[in-house]
Amino acid sequence: MSELVITDLRAEVAGKEVLKGISLTMKSGEVHAIMGPNGSGKSTLAHVLSAHPGYKVLGGSATLDGVDLLALDASERARAGLMLAMQQPVEVPGVRPIDLLIAAGASGDAVESMRAEAQRVGLRGELLERFVNVDLSGGEKKRAEMVQLAVLKPKFAILDEIDSGLDVDALHAVGERLSAATREWNCGLLAITHFRRLLDVLTPNVVHVMSAGKIVASGGAELAEILERDGYEPFKA
Amino acid sequence: MNTFSTSAQLLLANDESRKGAWDLFVEVGLPTTSDEVWRYAPLRDFSLDRFANFEPLTERAISTHGAELLAGPSVLIVNGAVKSTNLPNGVSIESSQAPATLDRSPVLERYASDSFALLNLALAPQTITITVAPGTRVSEPIALVHETTAGVNFARTHIVVGDNSYASFVEYFDGAPDALVVPLSEYQVGEQATLELFTCQRLASTAWHIARSTGYLEKSAKLQQSIIGLGAHYNRSRNDAHLLGTAASNELRTTFLGSGSQVQDFRTRQYHVAARTESRLLSKGAVAGDSRCVYTGLIEIEKGAKRTDARQTNHNLLLSSTAHADSVPNLDIRENDVMCAHASTVGPLDELQRWYLESRGVRPRDAQRLMIEGFFTEMLVGAPTEIISGVREDVTRVLTEEKVVL
Repeated sequence: MSELVITDLRAEVAGKEVLKGISLTMKSGEVHAIMGPNGSGKSTLAHVLSAHPGYKVLGGSATLDGVDLLALDASERARAGLMLAMQQPVEVPGVRPIDLLIAAGASGDAVESMRAEAQRVGLRGELLERFVNVDLSGGEKKRAEMVQLAVLKPKFAILDEIDSGLDVDALHAVGERLSAATREWNCGLLAITHFRRLLDVLTPNVVHVMSAGKIVASGGAELAEILERDGYEPFKA
Repeated sequence: MNTFSTSAQLLLANDESRKGAWDLFVEVGLPTTSDEVWRYAPLRDFSLDRFANFEPLTERAISTHGAELLAGPSVLIVNGAVKSTNLPNGVSIESSQAPATLDRSPVLERYASDSFALLNLALAPQTITITVAPGTRVSEPIALVHETTAGVNFARTHIVVGDNSYASFVEYFDGAPDALVVPLSEYQVGEQATLELFTCQRLASTAWHIARSTGYLEKSAKLQQSIIGLGAHYNRSRNDAHLLGTAASNELRTTFLGSGSQVQDFRTRQYHVAARTESRLLSKGAVAGDSRCVYTGLIEIEKGAKRTDARQTNHNLLLSSTAHADSVPNLDIRENDVMCAHASTVGPLDELQRWYLESRGVRPRDAQRLMIEGFFTEMLVGAPTEIISGVREDVTRVLTEEKVVL
């Protein structure tokens, strides 16, 4: 059983404090959803946890099984078991997905597991021959993120609006794969989303509402329904 | 010990056909760095007398990738002279000693102000002419493997692709420690014909490489040229295309990697003479250590070359704080109805791409390696595997030997 603990995390971007003290604890196999209006700091949280350049931590801590994540570089954090799946995965011309996976430390037969995972999320095999995220549609990029996630099997995955811009079929494929990950290797998921529809496939244990850089409410899956009905206004910090 | 001049005079003693080029060279002399086009060349370290040995020193073994390439359709050229050939049907080869050009102007006029081209015209043992007969489709690439066993290698190659033909060639230069290698090449691409060309230079770090090529393109001809520069102390590669026939097109990709104190000096001139001609230039390179690179590209459009579409793009990657890159695009346009564009970037590896790889668990050093290899891989799509593995070996070597700072 692994544990991701975030305590009073504060961070700035371009001199502006965007995270103003975030605390949350999650365990292996759990699904936590983070919802909130644009600009509330959701993506900043994802980026700060995965050491995106351009963000500065002002205080607080983040640990994975007691390991101080904030003291590690991006690569070491991933190797400690934390991986980010992105809303807009970066294109890396010239680098093939298989070379990325092998360099990232994929165990066993990486080629075989990459192919199997691609088939599982409905990513056409020939797209694995293209350079990482180059010439892929929005939906294909997110399926490709799922392939990486499933081959690398992190202890915790942060999903930064992985559902944005997906059609119904793609949303289902992505949601099902993530849901299976929580059972297959007990992956914990921190899902940042605007929409309840992902949470219909991926049932959250906890829903957090963020506003102005803070978590202003936490509750069960029913909180997502309330948000959809009433909007974020009642929760504004 | 001979001087370069006495070696040359011995060679030319009974050869009037080449003596004219030598006399013109003597008149023109070597360039100096006050010449704008030679500004970046380390000419202060240069002395012809270092290359005075024209006789083969040893029977040097053929390089690994050279040998691999010789297994298929190929020509082995040692010090500029044909040693063996293995050519498919429809492709023939001949050689003659006299200087020659595929251009319409007389050869000495054609190269009158180019000292090194004149040296080639005077001292190359042969003009090697490879002809692809009209209407021929050559399915496998033909390798021209150049080896150097003397202090100089003046290779002069003409490739003539007949109308409605398709052929692909790989020119490969390897080894040649302490040698002066001066290839002078011309390519004639007939109507509706396509010539695909990969030129890969992996000479020793003590060699000097001063190459020049010109493509002459007839109506609807296509020249797709890829130049890869990895070796030599000074690597100069000038590649021109004369788009003479309507709707001719030239795609030129130059790729280079500089390390140590290397200078990578790339020059191009796309000369649009006919209407609806097209040129696409992409130059991408990386410089590490104390190396520097320069890219000077001229797009020249003649009056009457209406609806010409000419584009140049240049991306340079700086892998150390002491490496340096210059990019000098030039336009000379004498027609109104044309489309021209150029873009250039110079900088370190993309920070976001690096972070993305690292956020998957790729270690920083491996992320650098993948991205730098990727920078080249992108340029080598379609290249023979021997060339791709050669480039990979050089990238790995440079990343091991050089401290890459980002």
